[in-house]
This record gives sequence, C-alpha cells and structure tokens, in this order.
Amino acid sequence: MSTELLKEIATCIERGKVNAASPYPPDMKGKEGADELVKKALDQGIPASEILEKALIVGMSAIGQKFSRNEVFVPDVLMAAKAMQAAMKHLRPFFDSGEAKHRGTFIIGTVQGDLHDIGKNLVAMVIEGGGYKVVDLGVDVSPEKFVDAVKQNPGASVGLSALLTTTMINMEKTVKLVKEAMPGTKVIVGGAPLTQEFADKIGADAYSPDPQGALEFLNRTN
Amino acid sequence: MTSYERMQNILRRKPVDRIGLYEHFWGDTHKKWTREGHLKEGEPVDDHFGFDLMECWPFNLVARLDFKPEVVEETEETILTRDGNGALLRRHKLHDATPEHVDFLVKDRRLWEEHVKPFLLPQRERINFEAYRNVKRAAREKGRFFVWSGVNVFELMHPVCGHEAMLMGMLTDPDWIKDMVKTYSELTVSLMEILFAEEGDPDGVWFYEDMGLKARPFVSLDMYRDIILPGHRRTIDFAKSRGLPVIMHSCGYVAPLVPGMIEAGIDCLQVIEVKAGMDLVQLYKDFGDRLSFMGGIDVRVLYSNDKGLIEQELSSKIPIVKRGYGYALHSDHSIPDQVEYDSYRFFVERGLELGHY
Repeated sequence: MSTELLKEIATCIERGKVNAASPYPPDMKGKEGADELVKKALDQGIPASEILEKALIVGMSAIGQKFSRNEVFVPDVLMAAKAMQAAMKHLRPFFDSGEAKHRGTFIIGTVQGDLHDIGKNLVAMVIEGGGYKVVDLGVDVSPEKFVDAVKQNPGASVGLSALLTTTMINMEKTVKLVKEAMPGTKVIVGGAPLTQEFADKIGADAYSPDPQGALEFLNRTN
Repeated sequence: MTSYERMQNILRRKPVDRIGLYEHFWGDTHKKWTREGHLKEGEPVDDHFGFDLMECWPFNLVARLDFKPEVVEETEETILTRDGNGALLRRHKLHDATPEHVDFLVKDRRLWEEHVKPFLLPQRERINFEAYRNVKRAAREKGRFFVWSGVNVFELMHPVCGHEAMLMGMLTDPDWIKDMVKTYSELTVSLMEILFAEEGDPDGVWFYEDMGLKARPFVSLDMYRDIILPGHRRTIDFAKSRGLPVIMHSCGYVAPLVPGMIEAGIDCLQVIEVKAGMDLVQLYKDFGDRLSFMGGIDVRVLYSNDKGLIEQELSSKIPIVKRGYGYALHSDHSIPDQVEYDSYRFFVERGLELGHY
C-alpha cells in the first residue's frame, strides 16, 4: 500500500502534478497531486525521510535524467520542481526538527558581476529535488559572500554559475578563497561559456553542463 | 560590390565578392579601444572596421509608455527599478550586462489581461521615427544594408512575466501564452506598417530571440511549433510580403529549433553560439541550401588573443561555410573587452581574406 502511494507521489513529481486543482498534466486532471498525496502518506505514518528518498528523489531524478537526454525541456523541469515544492511544504517541519535529514548542503550562486539566474535556478531545483538542502545566494554574489556561507554551513558543497565570458573569470577568485577558507570544500562550476578545461584551470572540482550532472557529482562526493 | 549589394545577395545565397562582415560589442570594449587610441573619440566601430550592415531599434513595446521607471533600491554597484511592464529589474552600474529580472507584476493570464494587454496599442509614441530615418539615411550614404531590428515574441513575453511563468504557462495555460504571442506579433506588424508607410522600408528585418540555454533550447521543437512559431510566422510573413529578408538571432543552443525557424520563414540564422554547443559547419551542411548564417566563430578563441588559434578557428570554418555565398563573419556572441584590438583586427582581416571569392 505504502509502496503504491510512494510510486504515485514519484509520478506526480516527475510529471509536474502539483495538486488536485492543477489542470496539468491534462491526463491527470482532477486527480490528487503531490500536495495531497504527501499529506496522505504522512497521515499513514510513512516517515518523512522515506517519502523523500523513495518518492521525491525518485521523481526528480527521473525528470533530471530525461532533461539530460533532451527528452524533456525546461517547462517540464519547472513543473516538476513546483510539484516538489508542494510536497516539501509538508516535509519541511521534519527536516527543521531533525527527524529527517538532507543528504547534504549545497550552496549555489551566480558569480560577481553576473545577473543571470535561469541556469542557476534550474540546478538549484534539481539538487533540492535530489534531497539536498540548498542555500541559494542569488545572483551577483561576491567571493566573500560565498566564503561566509561556507563557514556558516560546514561540509557544504558549492556551485558557481556564470553566463557571461566577461564574468566567468570571477570564478577563479571565488574558488581560491573558498578553498583557502574551508579546505576540502567541493566546488562545481557551470554555465554557457564554461568547459571542463576552464574548471580544471581554476581549481574547481567538477564541471557540469546540466543540473543532473551536478546532482550526480554531489551524490558521488557526499 | 557595395555593402548593400553584398548583404542583399548573402541573405539570398547569390554570388558575392566576399563574405559579409558585422559584429556586436559589449560597450566596455568600445570604451577600452577608444581609451587605448585605436578608435577616435566618438568613432563608430562600424565605420572603423567597414561593417556591411547598419541597424536601428525604433520600437518601444513596454506596456505603460507613460510610466516613469521608479528606483526601488540603489547600491554602489547596482540599481533596482520597476519598469512600465511592472517588472523589477536590477542593472549593473559599473559595466554592461543583461539586467536581472527580480520580480513580475504579471504572473498569470488574469494579471496579463488586467495590467498589460489593454495597453499594447499601436501608438505612434512607440516608434522612434527620427532614429529610423537617420540610420536609414546614413546607411544609404555609406552604401550599407539597413535593417529594422527588434525583439520578437519570446523576448517580449518573458520581460513581462518572467521565464518561469512563461515556460510553465506553456504547459498549464497554453492559450494564455498563445494570446501573448498573438498580441505582440500583431502589435509589431501594426507598428511596422505605420513606420514603413511613413519612412519607407528597410532593406531587411532582424528579430532578436534568445531561445536557447547551454546544450538545449528552452522548449521542444513541437512546443516551438505550437506556441511560438505562429508569432514568428506572422511577423516574418509581413516582412516577406514586402520582399524583405529576415535575420533571426538566438543565443544558446537552438539547433533542434532550426527546422521550425525555417518553416517560419527566416533567411539567416545569427549568432550560432559555439560555447552553448552550436556548430556552424554542421548547420551549414544540414541547412546551407535553405539558410544563410552570421556568426559561429568562438569568441573564447578571440579573447585568447592568440593569433594562431584565431587563424585555426577561421580557417577551419570559413572555407566551408562560404561555399553557398550565404555567410557573414561575426563572433558567436559579442566582443568583450578582454579581446585586444589587434586580435579583433586580425580576426577581421584574416576572416575576410579567407572569405574572398
């Protein structure tokens, strides 16, 4: 019974079925969504950590992998993230109380001088959907602000995003300062002008061209 | 050939003396090269390098024309303002960059119908007749190809409601997004009718649409065809009805959308962003019989300031893509100030040398 319910929730996440009132996707119109089903699962006594691991992460991972393979596009990932948020609303108190635990913490931001956020937001959504606590510092984030966040979240990994060739050069300073302040901190970089070669050159631990790659890196290193 | 004659032929893939030449620069680059003495004070780069095109952006399609942008917050480096679409935008004060859209008044169909749609009327105040007239005249005097430039539906919608609401709306309320597409495309055509009737036609039309991310477009080809293409087709059909060729710009990886853009009627694809995954030579092989190209030269190679690498980039592409007469030299985005003047000069001279017939 609980297995079936968790499967249903995973499907709602993957397909972006937020709640019963949501008309999307059309073939699930009128059915309960992530919002109602997660509440139902908690009411049945399924632990929050089990709902996260066996439903939410499963659903988000499925959509992330499809996105990586270009089988779905940005609108589909956004809807999945919206369903995820509807589900997390019910789970958050269990994380706040310590009853359930995240897989790790991920600090993300667009580097100084760069105000673009679409790519960064997509990565944050998929990482959160992968079971991590996400500390989103926003855009135009100074190296010092990243360092402060790392100090406040020991053990966290860091994601740096840049869209512009004119701003990606600011990544090098951020990587250097973060690693000096908290040796061992894993830093992953991404964004249109970036390459693995550039990531290697600036001392980042990884480069990913898409959100799923970033999530898989975190899963390997946490 | 004059620049005018050359671009007329390039956009129609007819024989020319050489490939075309055009470029976009970040404003900081122009300032730096002027400061270094390479450009005279106030000297336009298009004159300095002999570009083949001149552009004018004469339309203002913000919803509330009478709205005075209000400053919500200002720091040493950024300024946050609310614009006439009801959007909050943060801009950098110290250097050129695309503004960050912080929040939007319009989040759904009801708010669009209430706060934006009723204001999108074909008023004369939306058109800068004088700027259009002046650039058109200057282009004539210099023998250059003159294009009307502006954004099309994709780039008109997201500044109103944000990428996230727009993209999710394509799934949850596609009729709302289609209504925005129809409204903006009809408004664009109405304003073009007014402008062209009074000031004469341009030589071509250039639509700017950023429909790609790294390695993927925002939407699938099916979704493009269903939702965006009708707006592109409406505006492009209007240009074509006057015999005007159409250039379409898109940043990001949009290769999967190219068949749809061809169905919409574009003549030339620009800017072909290599760092996002676009491949100029492959696009030429796949679509060169139906499409001209502008761009596709990796700007990262230019800011390496290594002439050997620039030579390699140019010689690996230009001899191939010039074959069908449908190519204009341009970087794959805009030239940042890390590119030294001498590197860009070499890029132009060597590129055109390789591009002679």
